[in-house]
Amino acid sequence: MLMDYLKPVLFFIPLAIVQLVVIPLISIYNIIPNLILILIVYYTLKEGQIFGTILGFVLGFLLDLISGGLIGAFMFSFTISAFISGYFYSENKMDTNLASYFFLLIVFISACVNSFLFARISNSNSNVNLLLLMMEEGLLPGLYTTLFGLPLVVFNSKNRI
Amino acid sequence: MLKFLRRLVYNYKEYILLTFLSVISLSTLSSNEKPFAKHLKIFAIGNFSLFSEMATKATSIFHVDDSVPKLKEENAKLMLDLNRLRKAENENTELRSMLSLRDTSKYPLIPSQVISKLITVSQGNFIINRGAKDEIKKGMPVLNQSGLIGIISDVADNYSTIKTLFNSNLSIAITIQRTNVSGILTFDGANLIIKNIPSTYDVQVGDIIETSEFSSLFPPSVPIGVVLKKETINLGLLHILTVQPLANISGVNDLFVMKIVPSKQVNQLEMNLLK
Repeated sequence: MLMDYLKPVLFFIPLAIVQLVVIPLISIYNIIPNLILILIVYYTLKEGQIFGTILGFVLGFLLDLISGGLIGAFMFSFTISAFISGYFYSENKMDTNLASYFFLLIVFISACVNSFLFARISNSNSNVNLLLLMMEEGLLPGLYTTLFGLPLVVFNSKNRI
Repeated sequence: MLKFLRRLVYNYKEYILLTFLSVISLSTLSSNEKPFAKHLKIFAIGNFSLFSEMATKATSIFHVDDSVPKLKEENAKLMLDLNRLRKAENENTELRSMLSLRDTSKYPLIPSQVISKLITVSQGNFIINRGAKDEIKKGMPVLNQSGLIGIISDVADNYSTIKTLFNSNLSIAITIQRTNVSGILTFDGANLIIKNIPSTYDVQVGDIIETSEFSSLFPPSVPIGVVLKKETINLGLLHILTVQPLANISGVNDLFVMKIVPSKQVNQLEMNLLK
């Protein structure tokens, strides 16, 4: 059981370095993809909703600690997005979910929710335009993150063949 | 009853878990300023930043040049000098001696490099490769050759966290250089704005914004940005100014920490604004 959680945590370390060091270099108007979320969605679809929710919580906590941001912001947003992506978990359709473009749709939904929740929580300024936040911190990072989920789908579909 | 409860827990275990974890996350949010959370964060940053620093070095192999940091430091000093001289044009010598303006260029600058960035629309946090061992303290201003970047918010032994101007939790007392109009600069998630400037005050698009003499967090006359847009609100009584930062904050890699030790009492009071 512990090993099940250890594996994604081990993947998390290099991904977190890439997320905090390399990904900012490709930001477009402060909009960046979230690689950690792709990892969480992947494991949620592989292991189930409860596993994913706990994993989102743990990885969110770790990312909060090492990124220097508010502790609790990623924790909350990852937990909720993993829970939402857990609705798409099906033992029988695991291969279809992970190796088809349906995976990208799940990543998109989760990324939009995650980005929006994170922005809403970490922003104490009450004057921030909600519609702007939904657009800039919901849809656009969601699309950008989805783009980074594409190689995973291609890799999984090739392995399936 | 027990059986019913057991069945209820079994049927709704996902929702119970979600509620439990969400409550923990949200309660953690409110305890960010507690010493334990601070120490935990500093410990994590101190250890993880080693890896980030290595990765940063690996990604910056194409633009490593020993003379560049020195030239950038010189540039930053010259920028401060230039700004001071610009100000001198607008004020007469007598008035300046009466105000006894502090000379910002006398503060030493500690060169540092950004090793990781947390970029979101509402939260701009950087981690730099200088910490308490380099005599960096919480509250020190951070700038580069173009202008102000942010402020040190947490310090570990070898690393520090910066709250950039693009952080909605940071408010800065500013002055418009040309007319000495004061205001508070905040980030609204999209732009840097200065609210509630009376429309009778002389403010024009293109005016330079700099740190105010009223701020003890920042030394005076550090350039921040220029007025990009002026909007009228409340039946023409007030203005909202949109400010374009002089420094390219998102793309910055090399920066300087201004080694100042402000008044302790005032500093402690102002530090509460950072929380």
